[in-house]
Order: sequence, then structure tokens, then C-alpha cells
Amino acid sequence: MATASLILYIDRSLFARRVKDNRPVEQRDPGWKLFGKVPPREGPIKDPKKVQKEYETKSGRGGPGNPTSPRQSVRKNLDFEPLSTTALILEDRPANLPAKPVEEAQKHRQQYEEMVAQAKKRELKEAQKRKKQLEDRCKLEESIGTAAQTWNQEILPNWSAMCTSRRVRDLWWQGIPPSVRGKVWSLAVGNELNITHELYHICLSRAKVKWKTTPASSAETETEDAGCSDRESSLELIKLDISRTFPQLCIFQQGGPYHDVLHSILGAYTCYRPDVGYVQGMSFIAAVLILNLDTADAFIAFANLLNKPCQMAFFRVDHSLMLTYFAAFEVFFEENLPKLFAHFKKNNLTPDIYLIDWIFTLYSKSLPLDLACRVWDVFCRDGEEFLFRTALGLLRLYQDVLTCMDFIHMAQFLTRLPDLIPAEQLFQHIATIHMTSRNRKWAQVLQALQKDHERGSPVLKH
Amino acid sequence: MQTNHHKERLYKILVIGDLGVGKTSIIKRYVHHNFSPNYRATIGVDFALKVLNWDQETVRLQLWDIAGQERFGNMTRVYYREAMGAFIVFDVTRPASFEAVTKWKEDLDSKLTLTNGKHVATVLLANKCDQGRDVLTNNGIKMEQFCQENGFVGWYETSAKENINIDEAANCLVKHIIASEKDMLQSEVSDTITPQLEKDKGGTCSSCFRSQ
Repeated sequence: MATASLILYIDRSLFARRVKDNRPVEQRDPGWKLFGKVPPREGPIKDPKKVQKEYETKSGRGGPGNPTSPRQSVRKNLDFEPLSTTALILEDRPANLPAKPVEEAQKHRQQYEEMVAQAKKRELKEAQKRKKQLEDRCKLEESIGTAAQTWNQEILPNWSAMCTSRRVRDLWWQGIPPSVRGKVWSLAVGNELNITHELYHICLSRAKVKWKTTPASSAETETEDAGCSDRESSLELIKLDISRTFPQLCIFQQGGPYHDVLHSILGAYTCYRPDVGYVQGMSFIAAVLILNLDTADAFIAFANLLNKPCQMAFFRVDHSLMLTYFAAFEVFFEENLPKLFAHFKKNNLTPDIYLIDWIFTLYSKSLPLDLACRVWDVFCRDGEEFLFRTALGLLRLYQDVLTCMDFIHMAQFLTRLPDLIPAEQLFQHIATIHMTSRNRKWAQVLQALQKDHERGSPVLKH
Repeated sequence: MQTNHHKERLYKILVIGDLGVGKTSIIKRYVHHNFSPNYRATIGVDFALKVLNWDQETVRLQLWDIAGQERFGNMTRVYYREAMGAFIVFDVTRPASFEAVTKWKEDLDSKLTLTNGKHVATVLLANKCDQGRDVLTNNGIKMEQFCQENGFVGWYETSAKENINIDEAANCLVKHIIASEKDMLQSEVSDTITPQLEKDKGGTCSSCFRSQ
């Protein structure tokens, strides 16, 4: 919310100042060298913070926590005075050369004016675009603010009655405001397992005992019998993976503020479900929950989330069931994007190559975090089918790019999606994906395939 | 393979080994010439493409960076298919990751054989050598013996961080892949297949071992 208020503030001050303040920028800002034309400063050199402060008080906006950049103060003039007029100057020929004929001079003047007019037009357009962007951001922040209010005051207090209503579902699709996200996720995921805070602490203390009793991390694989060495070395794997979970955020690494929390939740889970243990991908899921919930609540959501049929299939690495999920995905893939589907088939690009990462981490690794959270929002609402719908939405969004690629480039592209993914566009594409195939819904398709496989389809033998 | 004047070769190469030994880092160093301590854990499989000029030919290496957790074995093994070479990586600072090397090699050999019945060329990488040396890798003779016994065509102490030996190791692997491809073509052409002794294979590889 800090960013919201900041943007609002900048915007307001920008518009307010434009009216009352028509003096050139440099006169008010003796501290900024950037704009030139400032006589060399007298007196001691001030540190930048002090200069900033003085600038703020002088320009009458020394509010707390409002770092303003010089750019913003110059930008306000753009609507009225395009930069090009100052950059391009029409000059007469130097005195030592013969003067231009009147005709030529007039022609040049006309050309000059045309150029300036064009530049002005372009810059005005750009300024308007920037203004529009700022306004859009403002609107977005405001809508998030009002949405948070609606969630807090209307929906959350009447959760069970309202959560399936059309209005709430629509609001849900637009993304849950970060301030209530954790609460909504908790409610939507539920607590079928009836895990209490106490149980979490019991599991955690067991994990701690284990950490203490396994002295050297490397020695344990030798001492344990081979069969369960993988499960048993979970604790070592957790340590290795924690530092590789959202490394760019620098909060889960050793010494980071959430390092111990992530370690605790994953450790406690291996004691809660020793039969599942730690599986790669879990650290990303736990991390996203930690960012939105208190530790014990994050654990409860984590355990319940992993207990869902799709997640259990994947995290227990139930290969045949995973293949069933992939097969169901392909049914909807062919139905929704037949051309791309054929292209994938032709190039032998099977869904496991990209879906494994997406499903195991619930997109938290492959999508930007804010976008991943929006996917989680609707995943909490619609369940597992939304994970596959999102996959199809992504494929649809990048359909044109993908159809021009060969196997390795598609595989590379899908396992490392672009850094900037347009959120609204993606959700529009997801919305156009129909999760019905010949009148059968996702669950029905999945069930039918499962039955086929139980009858012993040779396809699944590997 | 294309046999026209502009020859181009495409090889699929697996990069396997325990979790966190630096498989992704090695690939990033090799392909993108950079290193970051902040790589995310690989889930499933990642890909990279490296294009080399090799004796006036273009060699494309399709690198398959496969997740290291043992549990994923069942599903990642399908990715071994049609590979022509492999790196098996371990972390010199974690002895357990070296112990897993034989397991990875056995797994690879049991799932993958070339059309001439031989195993794919595999190079062993002792990664993170900038962080101190393992007792084992300190003993070059012992490591060479280990490689011969386990069918590696060579081994290198590597550091993705300091860019040590990555290119050398890759060149070694490519060389052996090309050799084994020739070998395969010959065995296809001749009606009688002459089985070669393991010794011969070891002999051709000694050139690859670094003499420090």
C-alpha cells in the first residue's frame, strides 16, 4: 500500500503544482546541477539528502516519506513546453558569410516551424501518454483500495454465504488485494486436515530434534538404508533449496528475514508427512504462502494445498497419475488450440516438458510473482483445472511466437517465459479457454482417462 | 545427419547429477558466459542451445539440464532418449554428491545405449573446484582409474564461477560424440559388427585427460 499512496501523492502534487507554478524549474532549484544554467553554488557542498530536503521545502512539498526525483518536477512542464523548442534553434548565417536570399530564409523559417510543430505534437502526445499511464496506475491503485475495503468489510465477514456469489467471483477474478490475499487463500483452501497451530509447533519441534541428531549433512545418506535415503535426506535437500528459492528477493537466503521461517515450514512438513518428505518445488509454494500469511497459518495452508489430489499426484511423483493429468491437458489443448497442438505434436514437444515446472511450483517460479499470485487467486477459487487453464492461456498468448519455433526454442521459451508478461492480456487469454470438451468438464475428462489407465493402457508403461 | 556441403550436426547432451551441484551454473557459463550465485532450483528440465564451429562444420548442442532430485528420476528418465552425450556433475565440497556419481552413471547406461550397443560418451565434472579440493579429486591417478572403471571418457575439475575448464570439458565431450558417431556409421555400413574391447575405448580417451 505504500506504493499506492506514493503514486497518489506524486500525481496529486503534479497536477496541483502545474496550475499555480509557472516559473521555470531552474530558478526554484538551485541545488540541481542537472538542468544547467545554475550559477556555481556558494557555500559548503551539501550532501544530497540535505539538498533534497531543501528542495522539497522550497517547492512546498516536504511531506514525510515522499522521495521526489528531479524528473518529476521537470515533467510537469511538458504539457505546455515541449523540449524540442529549446533544443532546435534557427539561426541566421554567420556574419562572415553572405546572407541567405529572402526567399530561402523564408523557406527555412517555414521548414523550421514545421519541424518544431511536429516535434511539439509528438512530445505532447508522449506527455499525454505518460499522463494517461499515471492516471491508469492511479485508478488501479484506487480500485485495489476500494476492493480491499469490499473484501474486508463485506465479503470476509460473510464468507460462506458470499464466496460463491457472482459478484464475489467476478471480483475474485480481477485479483485479490494483497492486504486480504492471505486470508482469502486460507479460507478458500480450507483446513480439511484440521491442522492446529499446536500441531504445527509439534511437527516443528520434531524437525528441530532431527536437525540436531543428524550432525554432518553428507554422512546421513550413507548411514540410512538405501531404500529411504531419498526421503531421509529431505532435511539436507531443504537446506540446499532454500537459498535457491526466489534468490532475487534476497529474503529467503541464509541471513535473510524469512530464511528460518521457510526452513521451519518445510522441515515441519517432512515430519507431518514423512511419506511424502521434501520434494523440489515445495520451497516455492511455501515461500509464496509465507509472503502472504503468518507462519503457522502458512503451514496449515501449505499442508492442505499439497493434500489436493493434483498436488498429491505430483509431489508423490505418481508417474501414471501425472501422465493422466498430462493426457487430460492435451484433450483441452487440442480442443482450444488445434493449430498449436499440431505444431507441438510435429515437434515432439510433450506437455511434461513445460507443465512439470508450472504445476510443481504453481507458476510461482515461471511467472512474475505478482502475476503468479493472481493465478493462485483463481486457482484457490476454481481448483486444479485452473492450473491447466492457465497453461493453455499462456500457450494461447504466445501462440504466434511458438508456431515459428522448433523444438529446442519452444522448450527454452516455455521453461523460461519472458520477464514481462502482460497480466491483463494473459487473463484475457485464459478467459477465452473453454474447459469443456464434448460437453465434458475437466473432472469428467480426467476421470474417464483415469479409468482407461486403470484398465491397463500400455501407453503408460515406461 | 545431413550430408550436403554445409554440414550441420545436432547433438542432444544431458547434464545430470545430484541436486545443487551446479548443473545450471555450468550451462549458463558455457552458453551465456556468465555466472550468478542466484540461480533458482531447476524443476523438471531446462534447456539451452550452444552453437559451435567444429572443423568448418556447425555443431549444435542441445543441452538438457535435468533436475537433480532422485525422486524425479521416474519422470526425467524419459528425457534420456536419443541423447548422444552426457555430463555427470558432482560438487567437490559435498562427498555425497560424488558417491551418487556411480548411481547416475549406472542409471544412464541402463536407460540409454547407442545403436551400436555402446554407452553414450560421458564426461565427469568435479564442479566448484574454486571452493577447495576434495581429497579424491586431489588424486589425479585415482580419478583416472575411477573414470576408466566406470566408463567415463574423461573428467575435469570445473568451476562455473571462475570459468575453469568448462569449454575444455565440452570440447572433450563433443570430440568423443563425433568419434562415436563415426563408429556407429561404420558399424551400420559393415555387415559384420566387430565388437571392440573396452581397452581400446580407454586408450583413445587418454588424450582427453588433463595433464596438469
